Amino acid sequence: MAFDIPTRTEDLPTDAPRFIGKTVNRIEDPALVSGTVEFIDNLSLPGMLHCAILRSPHPHARITRIDASAALALPGVEAVLTGEDVARWCDPCFTAPEGWGNYCLAVGKVRFVGEPVVAVAASSRYVAEDALELIQVDYALLDAVANPDEAMAPGAPVVFEERRTNVIQSRTYTWGEVDRVFAAADRIVSRQFRWNRVGANPTETFGCICQWDLADNSLICRGAYQTPRFMAIGRAASLRLPANKVKVVSHAQGGGFGGKGGPRGTDIAALLSRKSGGRPVKYIEDRMEYLLAGGGQSWDRYYDAALAVKADGTVTGFKVRLVDDQGAGAEGYGTISAAKPLAAFTGNYRIEAAFYDLTLVATNRAPTYPYRGYGPPPHNLVLESLMDVAARELALDPAELRRRNYIRPEQFPYTVPSGNEYDSGNYAAVLDRVLELADYRALRETQAQARAEGRLVGIGVVSTVEPGVFDWNAYATVGVPGVGVPEGVKVAVDVFGNVTVAVGFNLQGQGQFTVAAQVVADYLGVDMNSVKVTTASTDVALPHFGQGGSRLGVAVTGAILGACDKLRQTFCRVVAHVMHTDPEQIELFNGRLRMKQAPEHGMSIAEVAGLMLSRSDLLPPGVEPCPEATFVWVSPNRNQPDDQGRCRSYLTAAAATHVVQVEIDRDTGQVKILGYYIVDDCGTRLNPASVEGQLQGGVAQGVGAALYEEYVYDAQCQPLVSTFVDYLVPTIHEVPMTVKDHLVTPSPVAPLGAKGCGEGAIHTTPAALLCAINDALAPLGLECRETPASPQRLWKLLHDQA
Amino acid sequence: MSTRQTIRLTVNGKPYEREVEARLTLADFIRHELHLGGTHVGCEHGICGACTILIDGSSARACLTLAVQADGANITTVEGLRNRETGQLHPIQQAFVEAHGLQCGFCTPGFMMTTLELLGENPDPSDDEIKEALGGNLCRCTGYQSILDSVRLAARRLQSASAA
Ligand code: FES
Ligand code: FES
Repeated sequence: MAFDIPTRTEDLPTDAPRFIGKTVNRIEDPALVSGTVEFIDNLSLPGMLHCAILRSPHPHARITRIDASAALALPGVEAVLTGEDVARWCDPCFTAPEGWGNYCLAVGKVRFVGEPVVAVAASSRYVAEDALELIQVDYALLDAVANPDEAMAPGAPVVFEERRTNVIQSRTYTWGEVDRVFAAADRIVSRQFRWNRVGANPTETFGCICQWDLADNSLICRGAYQTPRFMAIGRAASLRLPANKVKVVSHAQGGGFGGKGGPRGTDIAALLSRKSGGRPVKYIEDRMEYLLAGGGQSWDRYYDAALAVKADGTVTGFKVRLVDDQGAGAEGYGTISAAKPLAAFTGNYRIEAAFYDLTLVATNRAPTYPYRGYGPPPHNLVLESLMDVAARELALDPAELRRRNYIRPEQFPYTVPSGNEYDSGNYAAVLDRVLELADYRALRETQAQARAEGRLVGIGVVSTVEPGVFDWNAYATVGVPGVGVPEGVKVAVDVFGNVTVAVGFNLQGQGQFTVAAQVVADYLGVDMNSVKVTTASTDVALPHFGQGGSRLGVAVTGAILGACDKLRQTFCRVVAHVMHTDPEQIELFNGRLRMKQAPEHGMSIAEVAGLMLSRSDLLPPGVEPCPEATFVWVSPNRNQPDDQGRCRSYLTAAAATHVVQVEIDRDTGQVKILGYYIVDDCGTRLNPASVEGQLQGGVAQGVGAALYEEYVYDAQCQPLVSTFVDYLVPTIHEVPMTVKDHLVTPSPVAPLGAKGCGEGAIHTTPAALLCAINDALAPLGLECRETPASPQRLWKLLHDQA
Repeated sequence: MSTRQTIRLTVNGKPYEREVEARLTLADFIRHELHLGGTHVGCEHGICGACTILIDGSSARACLTLAVQADGANITTVEGLRNRETGQLHPIQQAFVEAHGLQCGFCTPGFMMTTLELLGENPDPSDDEIKEALGGNLCRCTGYQSILDSVRLAARRLQSASAA
């Protein structure tokens, strides 16, 4: 059977979609505002124990002795787990590239502050934490490597002895005639940038409850899991279990933004359960643990980059050298985020050649993990900052320079030098609209006035592409095998015509359950409130990935359309049989299966489902009594990369241009955002309010990364950040209320024309803010090339000059 | 370590008497002893505001309060907003749903409890007053714009309800 996945909303079997494309209230919200959603810490199981973890205070040290006898003797303590157990029962987690993983609990030595060393399971978290105070650990300190320079110096201490080097990976990519375009350039602009480490910090930290069945040697992990099956496979590998003996139950999550899943915490809780005779063990990471070493620190980067520019402003080449401090290993797949820019290396522009030199280095900082955007946010900041430098040198308006270089609408589908194919877009129209929305000319006038008064006012105009619908093939050259990321659903109709959609993931905030209900309701012609979306645990779920890579809204839409089309075909056969005609004579339209020639004759989907379940005598041969269908969607037309990493990776290319006006306070270095304007184009907007929410949330995280947030380490590699007093997540006072508009250039290849948009503005906001800051500083001849451009950093820049 | 003490308090209109450890936080007490899981914990050090509840009508951080300090108090949590019999959402909850004031919803109970206090004191707040009131609550998902919209909408709804 062939299945039809419409790429246009007009092709749905209805005269007009009632839900898709409309701002609808989210089906997940009534429970969320009532406080009744089962976040993992709300669940308690009979006989459950609570885990607390003793963590390393040293960045690099050998463990010479652990004495946990007093802890074990404390009433209420049921089990203590050390590296000895772990070495006996586990393998280090797998990584990409391979061989850079830690055990869940330190074995022999610690590699970063916050690395788990001993874990306790006790009758309450309070007792478990009491027990930690009774544990004695002796360490022999080792020299730490605090940054990539130290790590790559000859004779440097090595973080993973068996690797004999701290360089995890080092390679170059050459796309096109780089040397020629640089030699032929009229101007080469180059700069160095430092992007300091930031991180996801969802409001809910990681948590899980693990239970080891000793009789069956199987494991159930319930928790805040973003990618359930991936997590199950990982646990099977690290805990040496058959994959079908690990069941992961994903609970609703209080935000994710990458790295939600806690492989370490899960393994530790699982082993404590094993050690305590199979009792369930709950581990709830606290915020200090998260900030020290949780999953979500990202992008600790040093850039050296250059643009080749012609006198007329045509940009012909882009070279980037990146040294990325991964921290202690590759357990969090922070490594592969450095490869994601391949999906949109040259941004919105017709840059013909590019070069990328990538060095991933292990240090004694905490391991890095994915964070929203997964690589491009710093990369875009580099490219867009250089575009502004070029504009300044050529005395061109930055908006004009960008316009001259945009890929033109008629050039789509457009293959960028780094190999990916952009599906569609109209970048000049986006720019025009945002300049109008912002009244750009007026902004420049107010800036001129302010400058005349000696005030530091600047404007950023920044364009970016958001690669949407990630694919594994983008990461092949950094050690990840595979093409295609399956996402499966089951759509089931009951005898009353209610519909249940079973998916492989749970709530995280982006509103995919609502999108699922919208699509089903429009396809099958039912009301949204007769659709129930539910999460299947990994033992029964279809192949799936879950949230990640601006993919799930599109992928789940594709999966549902596929399942609905299967149902439609079956229903047509059943109805044709009852009506003594051919299936080709029957069509689904507005929720009825009807005769094409005589539309007044037909059956509702409830009637068909009821018939299938209760009148086997009326079923055509070969049709099962099952008004249900499964479908596993995968991006169409993906391919294997070549040796330079070139392939069709991310399916969609959304675009945005931001205009922001800022003022820097000379006395405090504080950046004030005077106005913020966004026009984006992510194709069909399935639930427009959710799209805007994703955008605005990305703005907030972008503001944090550009101006406030930083995981600070001292020269000895001690983290100086351990609370929200040190790590500054923006509040309502720091985040601008943005003025937004949008264009719609549907994707010709994605289900219903919708492009991935979940990572959204974090692609753009940091670059826009830094460009605005540097525009403000330009009259002083100063430039800030380090993020966050915190008050302290800017004040120092201004002050050092004076 | 385990000094125990008996406390009596009212939560969402219901009286409770419990013996608790002196060191038990009010957040843990509400969540794990009373099984009211809507008061979330995001930092346990008083910054994120996810655990915001009302104690005798004033907003407070349940993570920084000990259960024993709440002896004799009248507490409202997010579970106290919805109509107990009909399940109907409180206008503040309804406004957050309609104005898309939440994504993951983890911070939302804290925001709504802060809003409840604000609108009780100031039924028609300006945007600056709303921001001032919500400045102690972190949301990592929404970027706050839809939360601001939600509070404005809730204020309008509550005002027209009291005018009617
Ligand atoms: S949990 Fe209480 S303020 Fe964060
Ligand atoms: S909605 Fe997720 S933290 Fe606010």
